[in-house]
Amino acid sequence: MTAILRLESRKRVRGSIVLLVVFGVLSALYFSMFPGIQEEMEVLEEAFPGYMFDMFMIEEIHTIEGFIAAEIYSFFWALLLPIYFAYVGAGLIAGDVQNRTMDLTLSMPVSRESIVLQKVSALWVPLVVLNVGVPIVVYVGARLIGESFDPVSLAMVHLLSIPYLLVCAGIGLVLSVLVDHVRTARAAALTLVFVLWLVDAVSRVDPDFEWIGEVTPSRYYDQTEILVHQEYALLDAGILFVGFLVLLGVAVLVFIRRDI
Amino acid sequence: MSAIEIADLTKRYGEVAANDGVTFDVEAGEIFGYLGPNGAGKTTTIRLLLGLIKPTSGTATVLGTDIRDRRALTEAKANVGYLPDTLGFEERLTGRQVLDYFARMRGDRRREELLELFTPPLDQRVETYSAGNRRMLGIVQAFMHDPDLAILDEPTAGLDPLKQDRMHAFIEAERDAGKTIFFSSHVLSEVQRVCDRVGIIREGKLVALEHIDDLLERGGKHVRVQLAEAVDEERFVTAEMIDVETVGSTVRFTYTGESAALLEHLVRFEVEDVDIGDPQLDDIFKHYYGDDSPAREE
Repeated sequence: MTAILRLESRKRVRGSIVLLVVFGVLSALYFSMFPGIQEEMEVLEEAFPGYMFDMFMIEEIHTIEGFIAAEIYSFFWALLLPIYFAYVGAGLIAGDVQNRTMDLTLSMPVSRESIVLQKVSALWVPLVVLNVGVPIVVYVGARLIGESFDPVSLAMVHLLSIPYLLVCAGIGLVLSVLVDHVRTARAAALTLVFVLWLVDAVSRVDPDFEWIGEVTPSRYYDQTEILVHQEYALLDAGILFVGFLVLLGVAVLVFIRRDI
Repeated sequence: MSAIEIADLTKRYGEVAANDGVTFDVEAGEIFGYLGPNGAGKTTTIRLLLGLIKPTSGTATVLGTDIRDRRALTEAKANVGYLPDTLGFEERLTGRQVLDYFARMRGDRRREELLELFTPPLDQRVETYSAGNRRMLGIVQAFMHDPDLAILDEPTAGLDPLKQDRMHAFIEAERDAGKTIFFSSHVLSEVQRVCDRVGIIREGKLVALEHIDDLLERGGKHVRVQLAEAVDEERFVTAEMIDVETVGSTVRFTYTGESAALLEHLVRFEVEDVDIGDPQLDDIFKHYYGDDSPAREE
């Protein structure tokens, strides 16, 4: 019974490709800028107050790894893409309930667990398209401007982002089974993911409050540590993955019990 | 075995009972009409039967499977066709892709045969479909896996008259082939035309459960009397006459008593012409709902 997985996968293709193109264009832009502004970046590091860099976890932006970590990964990968996953997750169930396609789906001999699992499994499309496409673009881009980019840390920054993105999709999914109106579910999901990111970012600024950020998913994914210091926090990724499984379990349990 | 057995089925939303102790059976091999105005609770019963919503109390079986047994009900759905009142399809798919999608989950051995009767434009996206085309696509998906039981919620809404006739003939043929059809409608003539038995629901409660012939009989006769001159209503009207309308010297009413008594009564007046006919289900319906019921709407 993979009909739902096939259909849902198909529905994810267009958005994934659009995002890949956006990332490609942005990367091209940053790579074309980097040789010209490399020196200025050192000045920038001196000029801006430290908390700005703490919030976005920016370091060593005069190196290609630090620059790309700052320009692409700290903002697009650690904030915008998770918001996209939360948005997609929030639409998975609530969208079908609202436009009544769920009535027909549930009239098929397919269990509610299977519906949720197949829909979530379809997230393989954006995960694969973006996590294969974007590192290729970054690696090739770096080579084109004559810089070398460590392929292992580049692969790891993507690999370890998968549990993080899944947690954000899971947050959306839980809202999707709780809320009937898809717009409400999406708005709540992307607001929540943004607020969690903000709490993490702000709490980094003051060491006394850093512990507050420990409940936020972005605390367990540090793109700069990976790219600049080659430190791979596998345990943190594991924690995120467990978090995703918990959210998925909650979503399935709620969906099984609720009225459509 | 009954195809559907509903036992004291109740669904409450807070204080409101959308279904209140509904009890009836749908026999295998019959066309059962579930009649009531919009908002009476027809769709609630259907959604309970399909496990979309859970009963507050009571239960039902569908093809022998208790609706509270989630896993068994999921399996039973392989042999049930469902046509919802509001049809939600994947709008970006073409009609053909929609049918392919359902076929992967449930089979489609009768697809071609159905597409000769019902003709949605299969190569167009569903988002471009008219209400009639959506309904036809819904009908094809509901029957293409050749289910033993079809649950249809307002199945002819949006269809043009020709396709409505085709749908009625089709479900009669299905019944004759041994299939069970449970369908809801607020269109009385439709129920009168195709149903073997009818259940009437009002404000969540089943108020009548009859063979269609009995219902027509019990509803009394539709009578029109042409008198020689205007008549004193107080003298003419008896307790058995209901829904009396007088225009000049013509009186129309529904007579709920014995025919012989009516004739004995009429000979006392100077009658020019009498017309006694079968009542319309419409008139019977009025008895259950009353003329002034705000719930009555088309």
